Amino acid sequence: MAKKILLKIDNVSYRYADAEKDDYVLKDISFDFECGKVYAIKGKSGSGKTTLLSLISGLEKDYEGSITFNGKELRKIDLDLYRSRDIGIVFQSYNLLPHMSAMENIILSMDISKVKVPDKKKRAIELMESVGLDETQKDRRVLKLSGGEQQRVAIARSLSYNPEMLLADEPTGNLDKETENEILKIFKDLAKKENKCVVIVTHSENVCKQADVIYELKKKKAK
Amino acid sequence: MYILKNALVSIWRNKGRNLLIGIIILVIACSSSVTLAINNSSNSLIESYKNKYEVLATLGVNRENMMGEFDPNNKDNSREDMMNKFSSASKISIEDIEKYADSKYVKSYYYTISTGVNAEDLEAASASSSSEGNDRGFPGGGRGGMGGGMNFTNATSGDFTIKGYSSIEAMNEFIDGRYKISSGEVSEDFDSMDCIINSELATLNEMSVGDTITIIDAEDDSKTYELTVTGIFEEANEDSNTMSMFSDSVNTIITNSNVLAKMMTANSDLVVSTSPTFVLTSDEVVDNFSSELTEKGLSENLMVETNLDQVEGATKTISNVKNFAVTFLVITLIIGTVVLLVINMINIRERKYEIGVLRTIGMKKMAVSMQFLSELIIVAFVFLLLGAGIGSIISVPVSNSLLENEITSSQEEMSNIQGNFGKGNMGERPDSGQENRGNKMPGNLDKFNGVTTVQVFDSINAVVDFKVLGELLALGMLITVISGISTMVSIQRFSPLTILKERS
Ligand SMILES: Nc1ncnc2c1ncn2[C@@H]1O[C@H](COP(=O)(O)OP(=O)(O)O)[C@@H](O)[C@H]1O
Ligand SMILES: [Mg+2]
Repeated sequence: MAKKILLKIDNVSYRYADAEKDDYVLKDISFDFECGKVYAIKGKSGSGKTTLLSLISGLEKDYEGSITFNGKELRKIDLDLYRSRDIGIVFQSYNLLPHMSAMENIILSMDISKVKVPDKKKRAIELMESVGLDETQKDRRVLKLSGGEQQRVAIARSLSYNPEMLLADEPTGNLDKETENEILKIFKDLAKKENKCVVIVTHSENVCKQADVIYELKKKKAK
Repeated sequence: MYILKNALVSIWRNKGRNLLIGIIILVIACSSSVTLAINNSSNSLIESYKNKYEVLATLGVNRENMMGEFDPNNKDNSREDMMNKFSSASKISIEDIEKYADSKYVKSYYYTISTGVNAEDLEAASASSSSEGNDRGFPGGGRGGMGGGMNFTNATSGDFTIKGYSSIEAMNEFIDGRYKISSGEVSEDFDSMDCIINSELATLNEMSVGDTITIIDAEDDSKTYELTVTGIFEEANEDSNTMSMFSDSVNTIITNSNVLAKMMTANSDLVVSTSPTFVLTSDEVVDNFSSELTEKGLSENLMVETNLDQVEGATKTISNVKNFAVTFLVITLIIGTVVLLVINMINIRERKYEIGVLRTIGMKKMAVSMQFLSELIIVAFVFLLLGAGIGSIISVPVSNSLLENEITSSQEEMSNIQGNFGKGNMGERPDSGQENRGNKMPGNLDKFNGVTTVQVFDSINAVVDFKVLGELLALGMLITVISGISTMVSIQRFSPLTILKERS
């Protein structure tokens, strides 16, 4: 069956506002993302992977070219709603609220998305179990969790409101190989069983090998 | 809903920061509630002063108008001419007074009538060194030096001045303490043929309470009246620069207006001077009343004078305290707002990351602003209440000590008045037959007794009442919201991406 293109990046170029006139971080990028597949975006450090992810997640709108989600141009939709429901983002630096517990962080995301979940606590616990967090960690403040644990909380949070697309910025960077595989299995299951579109930014060969499609970003030479 | 839940969690998890904001609000609330309490008790003190000092209107000579009729270069205008003119121009009959008093602006009225008389077997104190008939025609010089009255020399001669009051209320000199009963009392019966005399006159003639005196119409020897002395009064001699050995009122026989009415009936040519006092409904109707009198034919040589300046003078100290309180309050609020604003700005810098996270997981700008503002409002509300509580405890002693003098002096004054009339209790008076004249009757002297005193006490004890609390909460919330607006503006401006980048 023909896979539906969920997100389309068409000829996108981007440079930071404070950069010089033709100092583009991203230049003429065109990627398609379909449901039911795992994508790996690889590239060296500084090649613009995180930048691309912020464009996709609608945090940055001043790009050239077009990015469409379900056929709609990102610049024209309610990006808050888009971020809170359609896509789940796992940031490189996790971006959790430090004064809240793992549980509270996950429930807050569900609250913001306004998605109907009958028992938010129960769902949060299930999600945390699925990413390998145990009981003792769920009520501890995020600040008191290790980097790897915070990353799992971030993954659980991004899945909590059941988004169509999952974006993860080096989600396994702080994990050992064994857990990396566990997490990858979760991502693959999401794509295969639940027909989600999973995009993983990485420089891990292991992740690339298990992905369905690999896109590569080349670092632009300065000047 | 989740916004509120989030706000509460956030407040609790950032206790230190919120405590700091709270303490600042507490201090502002404390000092504001004290100043508000002072302001409120000043207001009620001023109010009770205003109640005590009713708005009184008297008729005074319009010197400007009167002088205008004289040519200063014309030497023919003798002093006597002028006096006669004064005297005739300002003549007011009882009928006039009743006509003027029939006004919606007038609550009640009273008056004094005086004229010169002679007396049988009664030696007048030699007034050689004091000016002739000094007291005569001064009837309105009353309550606390209130202006008014007609300062013209009565054309009638006679050794004595007889002065009749229409009611207890008219007896200004006794109310303000210039005259004080030393033996006997002021007769309660305003239809009687009773009188009271100066103690100096009593000593000179060896008279005491219960004696009678016979007065003779100065113009017509055949008309005599017998008066019973019910009391002897002393005049407090305040201006010691008078060269006289006697007080001004030494030759004044005080009685009720009905005695004079009888004299006027018997001798229609009798020249009397009358001085009405109108109790007005409020200080706002003075101008209306004045123009009404002009319409009713008040001579243009007379004009309405009021005691408003005097009331203002009496409340001046309190007004100063009140103004200070208000100024202090304004300064506190301004400083408080600025401090809160700065703290909020620092706060927002600290919480940039939090804002960034909330925005990246899709929370709307407005929702984030709402959460931050509700955190501020909840903290402010709790500490405002706490501050108001502490403030109310300390504001009682503070405002009491600030306004102490005002309170006690007003209380003392009340109790003194009774003594001036020579009574233990002026409140329980039988209604006299004068009520049919539409006058405010002696029973109304209650006003000078307990009522005002009780009011004063009440207002001081209830300084931090619900009104103050409400005002405080409103003010506190106002400055909280004003200072919170900086938060809102920052949140609207922040781009989540930059915030998150800044962190890493
Ligand atoms: N806010 C910014 N302003 C200007 N340049 C930036 C900013 N953020 C990142 N860059 C630059 O953009 C390039 C790409 O960064 P990034 O997307 O974070 O790379 P990656 O995630 O692939 O390591 C880098 O050269 C970086 O210096
Ligand atoms: Mg990166």
